[in-house]
Amino acid sequence: MISRAFKVVFFKEVMENLRDKRTVMSSLIMGAVLGPLMMLGLLHMTTKVTKGKADEQLELPVINMEGAQNLEKHLLSQGVKIVKLGDKSPEQAIKDKDHEVILEIDEGYADAFSQGMPAKVKLYYDGSAKGSGRIPVQKARSLINAYSAQIGNMRLLLRGISPNITKVVSIESHDQASTQSKGAQMLMFLPYFLILILFSGSMYLAIDTTAGEKERKSLEPLFLNPVSRTDILSGKLAATITFGLITLIVTIIMFKITIPFYPTKRMGVSIDLGLYELFVMFLALFPLAVLASAIQTIIASFSKTFKEAQTYVGLLILIPMIPSLILMFLSVKEKLWMMAIPILNQNLIINQVMRGEDPGVAAILVTIFSTLLLGLALAWIAVRLYNKESMLFAE
Amino acid sequence: MIQVNKISKSFGEVQAVKEVSLVAEDGKITALLGANGAGKTTSMRMIYALIKPETGLVTVDGINSTENPIAARAQMGVLPDARGLYKRLTARENMAYFGRLQGMNEADIKKRSDELIDRLGMEKFADRQTDGFSQGQRVKVAIARAIIHDPQNILLDEPTNGLDVMSTRAIRAFLKEEKARGKCVLFSSHVMQEVSAVCDEITVIDAGVVRATGTEAELLTMTGEDNLENAFVNLVTQGGAQ
Repeated sequence: MISRAFKVVFFKEVMENLRDKRTVMSSLIMGAVLGPLMMLGLLHMTTKVTKGKADEQLELPVINMEGAQNLEKHLLSQGVKIVKLGDKSPEQAIKDKDHEVILEIDEGYADAFSQGMPAKVKLYYDGSAKGSGRIPVQKARSLINAYSAQIGNMRLLLRGISPNITKVVSIESHDQASTQSKGAQMLMFLPYFLILILFSGSMYLAIDTTAGEKERKSLEPLFLNPVSRTDILSGKLAATITFGLITLIVTIIMFKITIPFYPTKRMGVSIDLGLYELFVMFLALFPLAVLASAIQTIIASFSKTFKEAQTYVGLLILIPMIPSLILMFLSVKEKLWMMAIPILNQNLIINQVMRGEDPGVAAILVTIFSTLLLGLALAWIAVRLYNKESMLFAE
Repeated sequence: MIQVNKISKSFGEVQAVKEVSLVAEDGKITALLGANGAGKTTSMRMIYALIKPETGLVTVDGINSTENPIAARAQMGVLPDARGLYKRLTARENMAYFGRLQGMNEADIKKRSDELIDRLGMEKFADRQTDGFSQGQRVKVAIARAIIHDPQNILLDEPTNGLDVMSTRAIRAFLKEEKARGKCVLFSSHVMQEVSAVCDEITVIDAGVVRATGTEAELLTMTGEDNLENAFVNLVTQGGAQ
């Protein structure tokens, strides 16, 4: 089965591409090494900003604070820093992002308050603000709600009524999320990241060994050697798969090394990914290396130049994004048939492993075999493409 | 020895080669002479078993190259029109790669590489990566790579195209040496002086059809001209008028 020509081509492609700084830089250094480091950095930055906003003193511009002196006392006692709004209207100040939230005491506030009617205040904010921008709004709202409840309870007590009468149902929360599954949420980009890295790891070789060789005009002399084209292409494909796998392994190792540095404590979550869990991830992903390399080789084979191939193969990376993005926003109950769909199955298994769940042997086996089957079918096509004469020449 | 018997090939509507026949004998240099687009490269590609002829037959040392292209290729060393090198490999590694694909062992590859490096004058750049090689250096490496296995039949598609005088002379001298060693050399060219300088037998091809075959002297007598260029023009225009 393994011919001499296969080995000769395989080792030549691996050695030649290891000598190429561009390949090593783009797939190994940039993707596999810097990728996990960049993820770590980004997570640190976002948690720092979010946590910082939550902990820091709320600075609340209030219009007409004189109209509600009791509320002012309450806010001050809760550590709120009340400031004056400048010359701008509250609408403009929010629009210009001077403040995240502005409180306005309505003119009729004092009268309504003394008559026991709902006293009106207005809260200005931008509902489309992202993440950390919403925290001050939530804070202000809950402070005012707490004040409202407090005064309301006092009014009932003055009339000799228990405040409990207004609480018909009480909810006791039992959150079943483990610190591990919360940690998985922090890593929800990981499945896509690993698949992306795998695709980018084999991309350069898939192009270089086919379209690149055609463009350099070295394909014709190569095919003039007394060996079958299928053997030559198999060797090339094997080298491509190897680069994809090396990139994947380096990424997983880098990821393992960076886990202890994730801001898990600050977020109250835990990431418990041991060697076993990482091995399960690798098991689910390695057949994808065959599939990725084969499909990239097929696409690159139909291109005449390196650049043309780069465009098409680059677009291909968008496809694995689809299941990954869907799973980021949708909660899916894993079923065994889903494990027969390549890329979706890798996403599901990695997600399960991250959440500390056991995907089960059946799911892993179905994932491996379904992906490998499709991968080998595409590989079969890829190595036979060049038996067609029209595939041989760039012109 | 290469025998070509009435091979044809068309691409879509275009008939590129029509029933071309020729014989390239051992110990002789045979030329396939034709203008650009005359069907030289397509004929050569069929002869060295890269593409299959639609009709006709090519035998290389008695092996039918359509039925058994791999065995036929083992008998040939080919410098095709496309002669790209692997620029991240050294000249020597380029040669060794093809040697291994030819099934040679490492000791033979080393021995034969040293011999070719010496004969083609490649000592200065043999161990450098081929990126940035001059045209002449590249052709020398491509020839050495093609005949690393010391084949009986050597086929070259416009070998001196774009080369300077020194490189051209080196390659001509090399081909003559191979002829003296009893090899069968077949090359295609559109350069009259070249064909005139090195070839024993000439086949003139135009518009995919063989117009004449013979030695230079025979072609001159046939056309009544006094140089090969005029003889060629005569053969080709006569053919057009028919």
